[in-house]
Amino acid sequence: MAFKKHSVLPGFNLSLGYTLLYLTIIVLLPLSALLLKSSGLTAHAFWAVVTEPRVLASYRVTFGASLLAALINLFSGLLIAWVLVRYSFPAKRFIDALVDLPFALPTAVAGIALATIYAPNGSMGELLAPLGIKVAFTPLGIVLALTFITLPFVVRTVQPVLQDLEVELEEAASSLGATRLQIFWKVILPTLLPALLTGFALAFARAIGEYGSVIFIAGNMPYVSEITPLMIISKLEQYDYLGATAIAVVMLVVSFGLLLLINGLQWWSAKRLGRR
Amino acid sequence: MSIEIKNISKQFGEFKALDNINLEVASGELLALLGPSGCGKTSLLRVIAGLETPDDGQILFHGEDATDTHVRERQVGFVFQHYALFRHMTVFENVAFGLRVRPKKTRPSEAEIKKRVHRLLELVQLDWLADRFPAQLSGGQRQRIALARALAVEPRVLLLDEPFGALDTKVRKELRRWLRRLHDEIHVTSVFVTHDQEEALEVADRVVVMNKGKIEQVGTPAEVYDTPASPFVYQFLGDINLFHSRVHDGWAEVAGARITQTDEPNAANATLYVRPHEIDLSRVAAGSSIAGVVSHIRLLGSTVRLEVEVAEHDAVEVELTRERYAEGDWKVGEAVWLNPREAKVYLAG
Amino acid sequence: MATIALTQRSIVTTEVPWVRYTLTTLALLLIGLFLVLPLFTVFYEALKKGWGLYLTALVEPDALSAIKLTLTAAAIAVPLNLVFGVAAAWAIAKFDFRGKSVLITLIDLPFAVSPVVAGLIYVLMFGAQGWWGPWLMDHDIKVIFAIPGIVLATVFVTFPFVARELIPLMEAQGSEEEQAAMTLGASGWQTFWRVTLPNIKWGLLYGVILANARAMGEFGAVSVVSGHIRGETNTLPLHVEILYNEYNFVGAFACASLLALLALVTLAAKSLVEWRTEQLAAAARRDAVE
Repeated sequence: MAFKKHSVLPGFNLSLGYTLLYLTIIVLLPLSALLLKSSGLTAHAFWAVVTEPRVLASYRVTFGASLLAALINLFSGLLIAWVLVRYSFPAKRFIDALVDLPFALPTAVAGIALATIYAPNGSMGELLAPLGIKVAFTPLGIVLALTFITLPFVVRTVQPVLQDLEVELEEAASSLGATRLQIFWKVILPTLLPALLTGFALAFARAIGEYGSVIFIAGNMPYVSEITPLMIISKLEQYDYLGATAIAVVMLVVSFGLLLLINGLQWWSAKRLGRR
Repeated sequence: MSIEIKNISKQFGEFKALDNINLEVASGELLALLGPSGCGKTSLLRVIAGLETPDDGQILFHGEDATDTHVRERQVGFVFQHYALFRHMTVFENVAFGLRVRPKKTRPSEAEIKKRVHRLLELVQLDWLADRFPAQLSGGQRQRIALARALAVEPRVLLLDEPFGALDTKVRKELRRWLRRLHDEIHVTSVFVTHDQEEALEVADRVVVMNKGKIEQVGTPAEVYDTPASPFVYQFLGDINLFHSRVHDGWAEVAGARITQTDEPNAANATLYVRPHEIDLSRVAAGSSIAGVVSHIRLLGSTVRLEVEVAEHDAVEVELTRERYAEGDWKVGEAVWLNPREAKVYLAG
Repeated sequence: MATIALTQRSIVTTEVPWVRYTLTTLALLLIGLFLVLPLFTVFYEALKKGWGLYLTALVEPDALSAIKLTLTAAAIAVPLNLVFGVAAAWAIAKFDFRGKSVLITLIDLPFAVSPVVAGLIYVLMFGAQGWWGPWLMDHDIKVIFAIPGIVLATVFVTFPFVARELIPLMEAQGSEEEQAAMTLGASGWQTFWRVTLPNIKWGLLYGVILANARAMGEFGAVSVVSGHIRGETNTLPLHVEILYNEYNFVGAFACASLLALLALVTLAAKSLVEWRTEQLAAAARRDAVE
């Protein structure tokens, strides 16, 4: 196969050339600068930096909180998508639009708002304090902020699939004697599964890198509530560029792996729905 | 299992989908619900299935009131136009679904399920596809699997909603003959919905012609085709020509010529219905002839269609066999006489 | 809540009323707690001490300079990525070539990278310790801890938005119309301006709206490259952070309320474009039927 199939339309060289040039300058060169910089460390030194106890603790916090947030959204996202697609209620269009708020609201704004609400003297914090639940300035606060930030992902991946799910499938199952619960478990959920997993992975990937909304509510206590992006920042503030770079490489590798996983999931999802 | 439909009505908002329907389906018969889209045939089928609740009336299965029985307990097999196969399950699992969702007490053993599914797949002649997924099958195969799935629960009645509607012409013809043979084999009371008159006439024991939420006529294919009960049925079951007519002393007349005898009273405004293949052409006028000029001739495989211009009418279509056309040796531009062999008169209004 | 009805489903394919009510209530509760309450809190805290203090906080010189910088960064980053998005979508959607799926993945890459890492890579390129650092220093050009760095970081984080909207849209539209224009004698540019652009304008607008929201609201990446110099290299989100950390809550929430307003405008514009696209699609379907 030739590099490019023949086409009568013009502008291929110009548009692809510009695309590659711009991509290289903005994304590829800077990212390779990161990798190059990290090669300034010996493998041993690199390992030492990325496995420092405080950094290890930050992985636990970041991955644990991200996983929890993505899990919470797996359920609440399915619930919200279900209600938005299947039932009608007042102001539905408005609420549907509002679901995207976490994508539109700057993360710092979300961060200070959540910190204020869940601080011990905040509107929710006051309610939770007598129950002995502390949210702000604890790992729980991190989970909360990440749940907020990633709320739309599962909703927006599941919603279109649920919308396109033919009523006939449920009618067929019903005429074959299945109960409503059996239909949900055996017919609806398996159809939604790829979309659910894609949404979950997207939310998880986003949560791992999140910084702005978390730092205000996390309390940032070493070994307890420090997230990995914060470790990069604090290394930078100490002018430890190599240390920051090493941790960034770890994050980059994880992000890239997740990106590939998500692409794979989307391919699987398309195949499963019989579109390929 | 006989089905009795009593005074069924169903309204969707302003739209009256079913208007006081009464119908009986005999045990073991294959009945077609025929009509244009929006005539209520699918709504009626869904009401019988229990997928839709009627506003009024009753559905009796074998004399027992089933109106309030949930579709889950009604034991009907329903086949959808677009198959509605479960995409994430193999063919085998699709057919086994109805058995697997039964409560533990009545659920067959795994071995029994296996045996029954394979027997059904053999019945629809697709046993070799058991491990495939629906996406890997052709449309015709999918519909046969859907049928096997519906039969797996041993339904008391089988309901099919435009079962061949999504298939191309050739597969459609094959599959409807196959369905007829299958029905002769298993004899389960079946109702199927179609908008294709050819399909209804070929496959069904009896045809129910519906229009605007009402039943126009019920009868065997020969009855509805040969003696249509209303202009609508006449028009819906094949091509027709319409002539302005008047009724005078027991005769229907077109442009002064007496075409056919009728029992209708004298009337100045009537319409005469004549099918294209029920018209003969001649070069000399008989007593019941209408004058015209041949304007187009089209060869359509085994038949020939002539368009004849008649004064004050739309062009009249005449269908001749190849032999008759060759005998007559008709030419475009030639003046001819039309002699309807069969015709039916309906008074205006 | 009395009007919870069904959206055109028969009794067979929906749940019994009490399940519907419970699920709907739960979902609305979640949305209220997670989305409405934070939004409400921003405005409540901003106006808690009255309009006077609110307005004073907004017209303070540092706030004004932060607003100006935020607008400037977005005004540079969004058009740059707009041009890129159109070029990339043209190459990818209208032509078949090897390595296309790799290219699409690479375009998506900035979405996967943590904002903090995004800031860091520019520090490593242009910072005092970076690749180009010494050369830039010799020529007295400041990128990091200055406006160019902020613009670059903003470009990076908003890089995929327009391209991502346009690629699937243009792939779905195919190139028949362009080919028709060519057979009628139109030049390449004429074809693009008169045929392609009108067809993609709503998708383009959608991408721009999303890119703009992110550009004005970005925190992590900008925070790394900005140096936090008040009145000079602080964008509005960074200014919010500084005020908040100084316990100037009214000031912080006043500035935050501007950004929250931006978010609401973004959501409204987005819904409007979605609504418009739906209408166009529905009209196209109607035409196809007739």
